[in-house]
Amino acid sequence: MKRLLASVVKEGLILINDKVGLLIMFLMPIFLVFVITIVQDSAFRLVNENRFDILVVNKDKGAIGDSLVKMLQNSGNFNVELAPTMSREKIGTETIKRDKLISLLIPSDFSQQIKNNSASVSNMMLSQFEVTEKIDPATFKSKRAEIELFYDPVLQESFRLSLNNSLNNLVNQLETSNMVSQLYIDMGYEDIPTDIRDQMMANQTQIVAAPASVGKASFVPNSTQHNVPAWSIFAMFFMVISLGGNLVKERLTGSFVRLQTIPQAFMLTIFSKIIVYLMVAMTQLFLLFLLGIFVFPLLGLPELEAPAHVLPVIVISLLSAFAAISYALLVGTYAKTQEQANGFGAVSIIIFAAIGGIWVPNFVMPDYMQTIGMISPLHWCLEGFYSLFLKNGSWSDLQGTIIYLILFTLSCQTLTYIKLKLQNYI
Amino acid sequence: MQEVLIDIKELSKVYKSSERPSLDSVSFSVLKGEKFGVFGPNGAGKTTLISILCNLLQASSGSVLYHINNQQLNAKSILKSIGFVPQDFAFYPELTPVQNLRYFGSLYEIPKQQLQDKIDFLLSKMGLESVKNKKVQSFSGGMKRRINLAIALINDPEILFLDEPTVGVDVQSKVAIFSILEELNHRGTTIIYTSHHLKEAEDFCDRIVLLDNGEIIAINDMQSLFTENNVQNLEELLIKLTGKTFRD
Repeated sequence: MKRLLASVVKEGLILINDKVGLLIMFLMPIFLVFVITIVQDSAFRLVNENRFDILVVNKDKGAIGDSLVKMLQNSGNFNVELAPTMSREKIGTETIKRDKLISLLIPSDFSQQIKNNSASVSNMMLSQFEVTEKIDPATFKSKRAEIELFYDPVLQESFRLSLNNSLNNLVNQLETSNMVSQLYIDMGYEDIPTDIRDQMMANQTQIVAAPASVGKASFVPNSTQHNVPAWSIFAMFFMVISLGGNLVKERLTGSFVRLQTIPQAFMLTIFSKIIVYLMVAMTQLFLLFLLGIFVFPLLGLPELEAPAHVLPVIVISLLSAFAAISYALLVGTYAKTQEQANGFGAVSIIIFAAIGGIWVPNFVMPDYMQTIGMISPLHWCLEGFYSLFLKNGSWSDLQGTIIYLILFTLSCQTLTYIKLKLQNYI
Repeated sequence: MQEVLIDIKELSKVYKSSERPSLDSVSFSVLKGEKFGVFGPNGAGKTTLISILCNLLQASSGSVLYHINNQQLNAKSILKSIGFVPQDFAFYPELTPVQNLRYFGSLYEIPKQQLQDKIDFLLSKMGLESVKNKKVQSFSGGMKRRINLAIALINDPEILFLDEPTVGVDVQSKVAIFSILEELNHRGTTIIYTSHHLKEAEDFCDRIVLLDNGEIIAINDMQSLFTENNVQNLEELLIKLTGKTFRD
């Protein structure tokens, strides 16, 4: 026991002296989790809460273009700047000059196109209801109404699609309203009664979103709930730089050789490394969780909500830490130089993180990438933490994670043992 | 007549990557309390021999028996009784001399007070008292060699293996190191030594074995070998017996 304690103290002293390693293991994840959470939270607010600046060039000679502008102004999603006289050719450059993310050109025949389409549909319906004479449907030819959207190239695809959807929604409302109005006119009324028009607009289905959960309590998914577990896992696995490098260094200097000449000292050293880095990993997690719970709200970020059951969190944290340590030992044992251990270790963790869903969720990846991602230990750690932090999962939801992480850890430890045995260290 | 401490019989080592044996049926004895030198050109088998004696390598065939306290022990069983000074710096440069000595001493389960006394004694002996709390990475080559030696002595070894203990050190450190080694030897420690510094080896060793291509080409006390081969020094002896052809 005294020998083990001495080894643990030695490993601790070496770790404290490894300033770069400490920075990578503690400051880097804190910085990453702050930056990524703030960025994702800002993006979330940009789409859901902020107003987009939009330049509208309304050339429409009818009234529907004006209605669309009013709807844009009243939607609460846009700050509308009107430029009715601007030519089409200038819209692109003016969008950038005026610092707008998007510009909208409503063509001069926009009202006419919508009315023509409404008239076609109304005629078809009345013909099919046999209110008017039967007309061959092939004779109805309608041209789709068009509006043009100019956007700043810095606008990401996802934001642009979100804006497209918002605009589509508004145009659809206008089209439906016009269609019904036209139907009334064709049936001999003057226009659609105002109360019916208002009712139609009020009857739009509202979508109420609720996060799915396997347990009783449900967490509101937000950038904190996603990022704190994800980047904590990344930080744990990034200890490959410190632990892997440390192992190679000891192997390349004579320290390991001297340890071989002291009874049982070598295994004691490996065991003490596991203990020290296990403490490091748990400290990383604890620190990042504390930041999520206490510091994030002070910065206006969502608070990390801890799962109700602590034991599964501890088990998944320990298994993740063991997996990370075992991987670092494996890299440190097989690498021939410290540069090799650091380079391969860092790159492999970045790849594991990318395919494992740390940076972008797995579900947005193609099927084959999702399958490949399953080899990543970070993916399974993340699955475990997401089960607990987002879905309020129980032990049965963690089975896959637990089995994979145990198998991964055992495989790494076995390969490490084989290599050390071949090198005559044990 | 001196007692036999290490009995080496028909010792051979063939590495998987090599067709030629690095050690080929080597047999000799090391006597208790002697300063025994192992010499030869590069690739002769010196490091392989020392590695097997320190249990760092397993022999392909043959045996090594240590006679300690009227017991016959193999290399694995005598680890607590040996000290090893490898050519590389075998310590933790991020730690201080005290931290290094305390760590390695604890691995031998030396009682706390006894370990502290031993650390103080070794640091004083090696002239490292004034820097005992400074990180070893800031030390000169000579200081690092002395701490490398001090760690090997923390367990009061009966047998001390030295592989190039004075590489890259100044004359003051060299003199200090040999003075300590002589003192140890007078107190009964058997020293097995290998080096390319033939002059210092000549001054230090009682008896030597010369290896070439994994085989013993000569073994005797220094003066007898010089007389038998009609040479003046160890360098001449090596050239005479192993030739001038490069070995690596």
